[in-house]
Amino acid sequence: MSRGALGRAAAVIVLASIWSLAAWLLWSSSVVPALHLPHVDEHAYFSAAVLHAAQSFGRFQEILWVISTLVELAVLVLYARYGARFARESAAGRAGTGMLLGMLGFALVWAAQLPFSVAELWWERRHHLTHLGYVSTVLGNWLALGAQFTFLCLALAIVMGFARLLREWWWLAGAPAFVGLALLFAFVSPYLIPTHRLASPQLRAATAKLEAIEHVKHVPVVVETVHDVTSLPNAEATGLGPSRRVVLWDTIVSGFTPREVTVVIAHELGHLEHDHIWKDVGWYALFAFPGTFLIARLTRRRGGMAEPLAIPLSLLVLVLLNLIAQPLQNVVSRHLEAEADWSALQATHDPAAATALFRHFVPTTLGEPNPSTFDYVMLENHPTVMQRIAMAKAYATSAAQSP
Amino acid sequence: MHVEHPVKLVVEDDLRRRRLTVFFRLLLAIPHFIWIFLWTIVTVLAAILNWVATLVTGKPPAGLHKFMCSYVRYLTHLNAYVGLVANPYPGFVGEEGEYPVDVTFPGPAPQPRVKTFFRIFLAIPALLVSSALGGGGNIRFSTARKGAARYGGGGGGALGGVCAVLGWFASMVRGEMPKGLRDAGAYSVGYTAQMFAYLLLITDRYPNADPTAMLADVPRPPQHVVRLVGDAEDLRFSRMTVFFRLPLAIPHIVWLILWSVVAWVVAILTWFAILFTGRPPAAFHRFLSRFVRYSLHVSAFVYLAANPFPGFAGVQGSYPLDLELPEPGRQGRVVTFFRIFMAIPALLVNSALGWGLFVAAFLTWFVALVRGAAPWGLRNLSAYALRYGAQLNAYGYLLTDAYPHASPLEGSTEMQQPAFDEPA
Repeated sequence: MSRGALGRAAAVIVLASIWSLAAWLLWSSSVVPALHLPHVDEHAYFSAAVLHAAQSFGRFQEILWVISTLVELAVLVLYARYGARFARESAAGRAGTGMLLGMLGFALVWAAQLPFSVAELWWERRHHLTHLGYVSTVLGNWLALGAQFTFLCLALAIVMGFARLLREWWWLAGAPAFVGLALLFAFVSPYLIPTHRLASPQLRAATAKLEAIEHVKHVPVVVETVHDVTSLPNAEATGLGPSRRVVLWDTIVSGFTPREVTVVIAHELGHLEHDHIWKDVGWYALFAFPGTFLIARLTRRRGGMAEPLAIPLSLLVLVLLNLIAQPLQNVVSRHLEAEADWSALQATHDPAAATALFRHFVPTTLGEPNPSTFDYVMLENHPTVMQRIAMAKAYATSAAQSP
Repeated sequence: MHVEHPVKLVVEDDLRRRRLTVFFRLLLAIPHFIWIFLWTIVTVLAAILNWVATLVTGKPPAGLHKFMCSYVRYLTHLNAYVGLVANPYPGFVGEEGEYPVDVTFPGPAPQPRVKTFFRIFLAIPALLVSSALGGGGNIRFSTARKGAARYGGGGGGALGGVCAVLGWFASMVRGEMPKGLRDAGAYSVGYTAQMFAYLLLITDRYPNADPTAMLADVPRPPQHVVRLVGDAEDLRFSRMTVFFRLPLAIPHIVWLILWSVVAWVVAILTWFAILFTGRPPAAFHRFLSRFVRYSLHVSAFVYLAANPFPGFAGVQGSYPLDLELPEPGRQGRVVTFFRIFMAIPALLVNSALGWGLFVAAFLTWFVALVRGAAPWGLRNLSAYALRYGAQLNAYGYLLTDAYPHASPLEGSTEMQQPAFDEPA
């Protein structure tokens, strides 16, 4: 083996070791004890009709996802092959042409995905999960493309700018830049959501209590109005430092019992207690470095990312890498969600409410309590409902056994 | 081969205006308003007869054709009078060749039955353009409170209306209508005449929105220091970028907004510099020139006046529709001091043209998606509006103290023609 090859191999080993160490540090901060989750039978918690409805709903979505992903890949393959032709529609110089090609690639994907979006909307409307109309959705999607394009242009300006300066080493500067943007977005995003204060005095009192228990001070718990768009329940913890907050959809506040909502709030505060937003960005950084490196390597044959003609290929590579990384990202996400669930159980000491909440999710979201392996690996970024019920049961058992 | 539009506007106005008749113009026109209202009712009935007869015989009957021509000619005279495009009081019967702003019509000719059958629907785009140009005279249907339909004809509208209002003040002060406003008003009056001629089956030729063709025989004004340059013949469009035009433009719009914040600061500094030294600092002038040029590039892209995706730097010569801007030169201190107030009339004209630009872009979007090319007339209407906007920007951002020229003919040395017959 030549000296150069040895050096490269050594560099790869060192970088891989650093990556593994960082991943281990992010992963091993778990607060969930090594539990042996008991087996729980879904039929003991849900009627056959509910299980059938959830299964039928999920199966259609699964099929739709598979086909739409295949179509997306096919479009991007074609675009990688022929997309460079659109360069003649640009008078914008190298960077501007790159942006145009990037946007057109996204536009084509949008157009190809449109029938699937409509089909998904039809499916959700059929199951009374959304109130959105077809025209407003399509028009809204079309205009939302503009926002996507803006971010894409920013990303391409960064990549092409660094690629012009650093050639194929652009990823060394590009990945940190994207991490910086992710941090900025995490900080700013709470301010972009229109919300109002939590009205219920009971929930406000519960929140104050939970904040003290979970050592999360001065985090506003606010409500976002979504009931005119969807009936799905949801909540999220967002923000960094002073922008941290818990956002509850009004569908969850009005459609669930106060005890169940309290568990939700405890869960979201758990995310903040354990710095999950920071960890999300950390994980993003761990994927961003190898991802940008691979894009840089794979687009070399098209002249590298400084050349607009490489952009169509880079879109394909990006989407493929995302697809490959998706199961890993889901593993990480499920891990963080399990931590938040455990925090909620510890803070509320109410496994019965947690179990009721998770049970309630199934008829309201038509999520499968025990999805197929494919669904679990590719699409589930939360523990399954049965896993969550099992955790609540395990907590109840351990709490009963502790003095 | 280009064929001249059979409905031709003839402008023999000398720009002079009687202050007395200008002051009372609307009141003086009251008898005409009553007369046009009555005439319109009869014309609606006659138009239905004409439509049926043309469908049956394939050609409008000579008597009805003559009646329609008289109506549209009278409407044109009245619009020109109310819009201050002409000075003398018009007659009541639409006499040919008796008024300084007149219109000539072709004789009754065979017309395809399909186009005749769908005429009212086919005229919708022209009605949109006409309402944007606002030469007046557009029949307006509205529903009264008790549900009774009302209709009528008369003056008023976007570009024509703004030109009339501004022209009223100018004429009262100077005893003369500014040529720019007169030409713009004449353009809107002419387009309205062509639209009505099409709607009322006088001709089956679609109205031509090209302002230079409309005013082909009108003398050109002197060239402005801010000039629009580009390849007039290039009408090709990529369907893909046309379809996604608005989302594609959003990054540019974001960038333009950010840039405009800095441009405002630089413009204020330039304002002080001109007040003290009498000329803009070269570096500021360069910066603002780029900004104004970039604004034009983005507008041309958004409003489908040009095809390619523009660059982000406003570099001269980088875009097919470009601006020639003056070098930094001396500017009057008084004009500079009051610049923001002096720009108000131009802002009004620009906002009126902006509506026309929007309508032109809206219609061009559909045509370009189908044909992969922009319609010649609408593209030139857009270019007119964009040129005026750029001149206003250059004036507002202190690149020049030359006032924007409202004439659609400004910048055109001779009548530009497409290589083929092109409607709208």
